[in-house]
Amino acid sequence: MDSLFGIPLTSILVGLVAMLAVAFGSLGWVAWRSPLLVRMGLRNVRRRKSQTSLIVIGLMLSTLIISAAFATGDTVGYSITNTIYASFEEVDFIIGRDSGGISGPAGASPIADDLLSDEFLADLQAEFADDPEIDAISGVVLKTLPAVNEQRRLSEPNAQFVGIDPVTAADFNGLNDPDGNPLPADALTGNRVYITVRLSDDIEAEAGDMIAVFFDNQRVELEVIEIVRDTSLTDAGSNGLTGGIAINIESAREIVDIPEGVAFIAVSSLGGIRGTLDLSDGIQDRLEAFIDLHPEAEADVVLTKKQIVAIGELIGSIFVTFFLVFGLFSIAAGIMLIFLIFIMLAAERRAEMGMARAVGMKRMHLTQSFLAEGMAYNIGSAAIGALLGLAVAGALIAVMGRIFDDFGLSITFHFNWQGFAIAYSLGVVLTFITVVFSAWRAANLNIVRAIRDLPEPQPLVGADRTAGRLALAAASVLLTMTWIVVLIVFWIVVGVILLTVGLQTRGAGLIALAALAAWIIYGMREAAEPSLAPAGRGQSIAHFIRRRVLTAAGLIAVIRLVSRSVRNPLLRGRDRAIDLRDGGGRVASMIAFAPLLVFAGGGRISWAFWGLLRSRDWAARHRNSGGWAVLMIVLGMLLVYMSGWQSADALGPVGGWMQQKMFAYAGGTTLAVLAVAMLAVYFGAGSRLAFTIAGLALVWYWLLPLPFSLFADVTESRGLDPIHGVFRVLGLPVPQELNGNIEMFFVSGICITAAATLVIIFNAEVVLRVLNLFGRAFGGIAPAVRTAIAYPLAAKTRTGLTLAMFGLVVFSLVVMATLNFNFTQLFLSDDATAGFDVVVDANPSNRIPDLRTALTEGGYDVYANIGGVGTMVTAYPQMKAGDDDFHRFRVQGLDDSFLRLAKFPLQFRANGYDSDEAVLQALRDDPTVAIVDAGRLHIEDGFGGGPPGEGRFELPVSANDLREGPWDPIPVTMRTDDGEITVQVIGVLEPQVTGVLLQLFALFTGREVVDSTLGGGETETYLISAGDDDSKSGSVRLAHDIESTLLERGVQAKSIIEQIDVQASQSRAFQLLFESFMGLGLIVGIAALGVIAFRTVVERRQQIGVLRAIGYSRRLVQLSFFMESSFIAITGVGMGLVLGLALSYNLLTSPEFTDGAEIQFEVPWIRVGVIAAVAYGASALMTLIPARSASKIVPAEALRYE
Amino acid sequence: MADSIIEVSGLTKVYDTGVVRVEALRGVDMAVERGEMVAIMGPSGCGKTTLLNCLSGIDEPTEGHVIVEGTDINTLDDDTKTAYRAQRMGFIFQFYNLLPVLSAVENVELPLLVSGTSPGESRERALASLERVGLTEWNEHRPAQLSGGQRQRVTIARALVNDPAIVWADEPTGDLDSQTADEVMSLMQELNEQQGHTFLIVSHDAGIAARCDRTIYMRDGVIEREQVGAGG
Repeated sequence: MDSLFGIPLTSILVGLVAMLAVAFGSLGWVAWRSPLLVRMGLRNVRRRKSQTSLIVIGLMLSTLIISAAFATGDTVGYSITNTIYASFEEVDFIIGRDSGGISGPAGASPIADDLLSDEFLADLQAEFADDPEIDAISGVVLKTLPAVNEQRRLSEPNAQFVGIDPVTAADFNGLNDPDGNPLPADALTGNRVYITVRLSDDIEAEAGDMIAVFFDNQRVELEVIEIVRDTSLTDAGSNGLTGGIAINIESAREIVDIPEGVAFIAVSSLGGIRGTLDLSDGIQDRLEAFIDLHPEAEADVVLTKKQIVAIGELIGSIFVTFFLVFGLFSIAAGIMLIFLIFIMLAAERRAEMGMARAVGMKRMHLTQSFLAEGMAYNIGSAAIGALLGLAVAGALIAVMGRIFDDFGLSITFHFNWQGFAIAYSLGVVLTFITVVFSAWRAANLNIVRAIRDLPEPQPLVGADRTAGRLALAAASVLLTMTWIVVLIVFWIVVGVILLTVGLQTRGAGLIALAALAAWIIYGMREAAEPSLAPAGRGQSIAHFIRRRVLTAAGLIAVIRLVSRSVRNPLLRGRDRAIDLRDGGGRVASMIAFAPLLVFAGGGRISWAFWGLLRSRDWAARHRNSGGWAVLMIVLGMLLVYMSGWQSADALGPVGGWMQQKMFAYAGGTTLAVLAVAMLAVYFGAGSRLAFTIAGLALVWYWLLPLPFSLFADVTESRGLDPIHGVFRVLGLPVPQELNGNIEMFFVSGICITAAATLVIIFNAEVVLRVLNLFGRAFGGIAPAVRTAIAYPLAAKTRTGLTLAMFGLVVFSLVVMATLNFNFTQLFLSDDATAGFDVVVDANPSNRIPDLRTALTEGGYDVYANIGGVGTMVTAYPQMKAGDDDFHRFRVQGLDDSFLRLAKFPLQFRANGYDSDEAVLQALRDDPTVAIVDAGRLHIEDGFGGGPPGEGRFELPVSANDLREGPWDPIPVTMRTDDGEITVQVIGVLEPQVTGVLLQLFALFTGREVVDSTLGGGETETYLISAGDDDSKSGSVRLAHDIESTLLERGVQAKSIIEQIDVQASQSRAFQLLFESFMGLGLIVGIAALGVIAFRTVVERRQQIGVLRAIGYSRRLVQLSFFMESSFIAITGVGMGLVLGLALSYNLLTSPEFTDGAEIQFEVPWIRVGVIAAVAYGASALMTLIPARSASKIVPAEALRYE
Repeated sequence: MADSIIEVSGLTKVYDTGVVRVEALRGVDMAVERGEMVAIMGPSGCGKTTLLNCLSGIDEPTEGHVIVEGTDINTLDDDTKTAYRAQRMGFIFQFYNLLPVLSAVENVELPLLVSGTSPGESRERALASLERVGLTEWNEHRPAQLSGGQRQRVTIARALVNDPAIVWADEPTGDLDSQTADEVMSLMQELNEQQGHTFLIVSHDAGIAARCDRTIYMRDGVIEREQVGAGG
């Protein structure tokens, strides 16, 4: 895997290593300047061992999840590419007939007559005979035939019958026995064949055995002379799924009646199996150039090893992305846990920190001490986490191995050191950032209050809460933001000037100009904000010079970046948006310069914000929460504003990634609503009222259909959106259309649980009152219930964080489980059977015009066992709709019996057709009408949707278009042997119909269309209704009987119900895998409860003594502590359940999300119950230990404890 | 000693940490009569608080017997001892030791709820107890919202809400200014005289001893002397 989220891994690693250097550098600097502080921090680590263990567990989880995601993705990618290499061996390119979007084995056309001519093959071989990079070119004849070991009565209906040229094939080294020893191609003479390992296993044939194949209902006997590996030459690239027979090409031509032409041409480039990819592009260009010179051959390079390997790596990358995105919930919970841990550590040491401050330690010293302690936990935890992540990945892979085995993919554990390093670095960096923030917060204490253990004032209420003060804060925020914009513009202007006046040498002139710029900006900033300069700042000459040098260095870095970015449009005169992301090098250089920029420019900007958000008199502890609120509003509006950009304009690099993005719009709105509540509290409103209203409004905003209607049309549904109203009044652009994707799952989870947590935390006292009313019902445990609820409510921050953690993880699990369950129900429901029990695919080489007759001739009692037979005749014409190009696609001609028996629920019907029956009747009566599967509709790029279709047949309308109102039949033009015909699409199948039967991805017409205009098609598929016994076992037996009766015709019969069960089982296994991975987040929540519980026992030792003294029995103390944790866990689990189910309901009943499928929403009660039980059960177990230790405290000792 | 509520004989208490061995009580013999108000005085570390803890059953003596209302409390199991404390004893501590998350009235009613009194009756008696200490109007306030004197009054209300036989007070005025300390002491004296509760008060303050019926002086884990009568 080389990239993640489209960014090269190397660039990510460079950036992270730079940040890691900052983290370690900070620690080193503290250790060098203040070793005592580091000793203080480190000694604190050893103070409480059990607590330290929990902290380490909490800290390592984020790293563990990231590491596991990478290792799993690497393994999947590696295993797939391994299989690809093993399958391709020395074949690097496959040239076949241009089949226009569909392909059969080895990428060759599935149409019998679609062959490449011998002349073309000869020309190709002659042309590239002297090409130094190509060492072999060979033509192959291919048919899919039934192979039978008559001695064993075993058959493989779809064996790949591969005719190879012994002369040219020898150059591929593609014929090897299972041990890798080469086998001679010239041994293939007459009917002497090699069979592949897979086929040998399937029909239990060994070297020396005789087997038979059937073509056109004629039996041909073959002698197996050796067993060979499954490769793209020997089994036509079926990846060992069906096995193959390798035979001399001349014998093959005779047996399958192909006197001339080949199905595909294999090309091998120099360099063996691996290590040929570098040559791939050049050779492909030359091959395509040759093909372009021979248009009559209608050839195409249909497969390249490089493309397939890239797809394998892409799948690995998709797995990493999936696991990372699903792991985001746990990572977020982990970050909250780190924050919570440091809040609690700070609370524990409040008095001693107050004393330290009293004897002369600065806030920075306390922050540094905390930083040292945090990094001590961090460095080791991240390493353990990254290693354990590999172990978790190993477990995941063991499960995945079983699932992938069904697809013929062998999973081999593998991890990439880059992924491992990224996981470690990311873990350390995330923790470092959280520790720095929480350390700063912890160090921000009032000495007297800390020493006397007095409560801090309400942090949201400004000590000086006047409109004037707020206006000052607002003005300061705006001034700073303006300053930043001016700075950016200034830097860009400087860069442009440098280039146009010829100073782009990056020499002395550049440095001088940068230094000048630094001097100007420095002056500008002080001139603009004199009131912000703290006393004493700038008085020292050294300090003054240091600041200017750093600013100059930062500027040089920026100018270099800007000059690289603007050079192209300037020099080439192209109107191209500046794109800093263009190329990994720029990203890498930007990341490399980032620390310098942060240090020189960022430090300055953040200092300015600090000044704005706090009063100048630090010691007075006047927090200006109004400033924070203003900042949040500005940021929120900025996000909404950027989401409204319609295209990547001049500021594209800054906001382009947010344009028309749902997360920016909804996230910005959420931020703004919370800021309004903060402002209300700032001006004296009750925090309970303000945050309850804001919380409920946000829960409403995220849960009710409002946000989801955004997908359809923003402008029509924005009437109730305040942000939209403000933007409209101000004349700012508003997004006309918003797109959301998988990231919305995470964003909505964070926002919705945060809002609900606010509502619960600020209103939980109601619970206490209700309990007081019903106190009698609790009998003797009433006092324990009271203290169990009173304590969490008194510590809102820690309770809120823990609730949010639990809620978030349970929310994610419930949403995942509910969506999976409902989609599985939908796609693997009875509708997926299309009303039939068994599907029978006839072998194209041994067609069966009438199944009933064939079975009767085989001695099978059709009337006793079969209720009905529907026939689909398959053709692959080229077709198009609207202005699209022609593409090959499957047409299924349905006979009357099929249309009578089938259950084909329609998602959409054209004008004039009032019912599904009317549509099916029309299909029977009218050869000019057709229906299509739901996959033929145009897919809009959006939530629940994939990329728009390219190179495939699709209608020019989307599900949304058809849903909007009545629609006229859509004409589709098909190419036939005699010209073109047009059919009108009058209906679209429900998507669940194609859940299992892949043959139903098609355009459906009456059978006579295929018979009369498409040459009778290529093959038949029969769908059978069982007779009396329509049970699963009955259908399995029926399928088996049909297959064995028509053994020599090579039919493949399968029980549809069994297929559904197999798919459901695979689907459940994958779901369980993802849910288990996401469930790692529960460990975070449980660890949080454990940390809190252990902490509270220490904190409340004296109070426990009092409780014991006044009559609390040991059991009651234990119960009180246990119930306290239970209160948090149950509330968190309940919140997650309710929110998760509510969001799932909204998504599953939203046509935009389900792509039009109507889902009967069902709650998977068992799964949800298991999630809730595991979450609560594990947390209960975790809190038993501290609860027991609390009960064992001796009252006299506790009362003496200080 | 026919009406002795507390009888102590041969009481010793040794703290052994494995490194250090401290004999906090070295054979204490004493008795307290029902309704008596006794002060225990002595320098820091002489064993006053240890004695009080052992007498009240919140700590286990190493040797000796403590007979409270005719029962050797050291022979009781923990649950019985706890229930006994909830029903028959009240505690007043130097640093109040109120539960910060509960209001004044909730703190006061806690011993009643623990001993099985119904919530309605508990609330009624808690309010009455707060009325006795003059804090009716402050009953919904949390400890952090009360002054030191008020907090100690809440502690006294909590100690008396069960109508206990004995009230144990460990430095009840130690954290109060002299005027508030005087008010609190007057309150305890008044309750002792009017309600007949037995008070055992550990203190450094000679002023407190002066207002008790008897003063026991301790030094190095033993009773050095006793002085009967006001003013000790």
